[in-house]
Amino acid sequence: MKTIIVLGVAALIAVFIISQYNRLIRLNITVDEAWSQIEVQLKRRADLIPNLVETVKGYAAHEKSTFDAVVTARAKATTASTVADTAAADGMLTQALRGLLAVAEAYPDLKASTNFLSLQEELSTTENKVSFARQFYNDNVRELNTAVKTIPSSLFAGLAKVTEREFYEVENPQDRNVPNVKF
Amino acid sequence: MNFRTMQAANRRKTIGLLIGMGVLVWLVVYAALTYFGTSTAGIVPIAVGIALVSVWGSYYGSDKLVLTMTGAKLIQQSDNPKLFDLIQEVVIASGLPMPKVAIVIDSAPNAFATGRNPEHALIAFTTGILDVMDRDQLQGVIAHEMAHVANRDTLVSAVAATTAGAIAILSDMLTRMMWFGGGRDRNREGGGNPIALVISLVILILAPLAAMMLKSAISRKRESLADATAVAFTRNPAGLRSALEVLASDSTVVQQRSTAVAHIWIESPLDAKSVSKLFSTHPPIAERIAVLKSMESLG
Repeated sequence: MKTIIVLGVAALIAVFIISQYNRLIRLNITVDEAWSQIEVQLKRRADLIPNLVETVKGYAAHEKSTFDAVVTARAKATTASTVADTAAADGMLTQALRGLLAVAEAYPDLKASTNFLSLQEELSTTENKVSFARQFYNDNVRELNTAVKTIPSSLFAGLAKVTEREFYEVENPQDRNVPNVKF
Repeated sequence: MNFRTMQAANRRKTIGLLIGMGVLVWLVVYAALTYFGTSTAGIVPIAVGIALVSVWGSYYGSDKLVLTMTGAKLIQQSDNPKLFDLIQEVVIASGLPMPKVAIVIDSAPNAFATGRNPEHALIAFTTGILDVMDRDQLQGVIAHEMAHVANRDTLVSAVAATTAGAIAILSDMLTRMMWFGGGRDRNREGGGNPIALVISLVILILAPLAAMMLKSAISRKRESLADATAVAFTRNPAGLRSALEVLASDSTVVQQRSTAVAHIWIESPLDAKSVSKLFSTHPPIAERIAVLKSMESLG
């Protein structure tokens, strides 16, 4: 009888440890997946840009500084690797694209072209996807970090080799500046 | 209230209501045993069995069954790229797998979600809703439907329908037995307390009604929960709120008005005036709009 109780308690403890361990691993994997979703969507957006720039150039060739800003930001975004770098480049590119679309506002012919309209739809859905991917990533990072810091799951973080992850913060000093749009 | 506390509150209430269902089943069985004696005990598994088979069959094949019942047609990305873009946005926000997408040819704006689990989810839209709603409104509607998928509402409503069904069958069988001279065990020891007999009878007669009310209450809570979860996905209560306003101001209803699938639409296809509030599957739309407005003011 005594051994049964001891075995039962041991089994319960084992189940508890395994579930805590697995939860941390699972959260960590979800964060990885959320991160790759951000990368997929950023890549998608980067792929749209050459076409968009070409289309706008056809109608507004002299807006050179705006194109340069977009191209530079795109180059930075495609080479960034860490979370902080990617987030900063992402913020810059978002802002540069906003500038580009603001420029387009001044050219009615451009705005009416079917090519531009379909690009605009693609761009707005991609912007949404990027921002939802960020939100999903940050929600999961928050959950993982809470698990890493709170008892009882925190006791198993070392065992599972799971550490706190970095939030994806787009905010950068440039975001606070008013976009420089020339007409 | 923000969406997190809303979600928690609605989940708690659902659990409370499901427990209420369990208590009701127990009451019916108890009443049956009091009234007819223990010889009727065999009926209970039969009633539960019938309800289980009928409801769980439709639960398991819900995605296919609802397609035929509503006349929805599956579509591919190339049929409506813009709708697919919007759905993919919500898929990314929710972390759920991509659902199947269907269209119902009907000018009344409405939408629904079904499927036994997120991997077999299906969301459908009427051609009417795609015509009248803008990007943000449609995104809110999609988020509401994906919220049903995330909250596994097909499962919750199947559980509610099974218990309500079992209670209805049980009470039906027992009332029939009563008319046919009753299987009442008159040789039973102690005869029977007349008050207990009357109470048992009342329970047997009222139970199906109570079960229907509980089922509708569960459905209403799941609708509120889906609204809150939708906000958790998009963080944009204004989109869903203005979508509901469009639905509220539109007087047309979907052609096919079967009560069997009434609960799955985003806006109830049944005329709200003809059904009392206790039996309606959706909270009043004005109430839903007010809740979303209060979430907007939180910023």
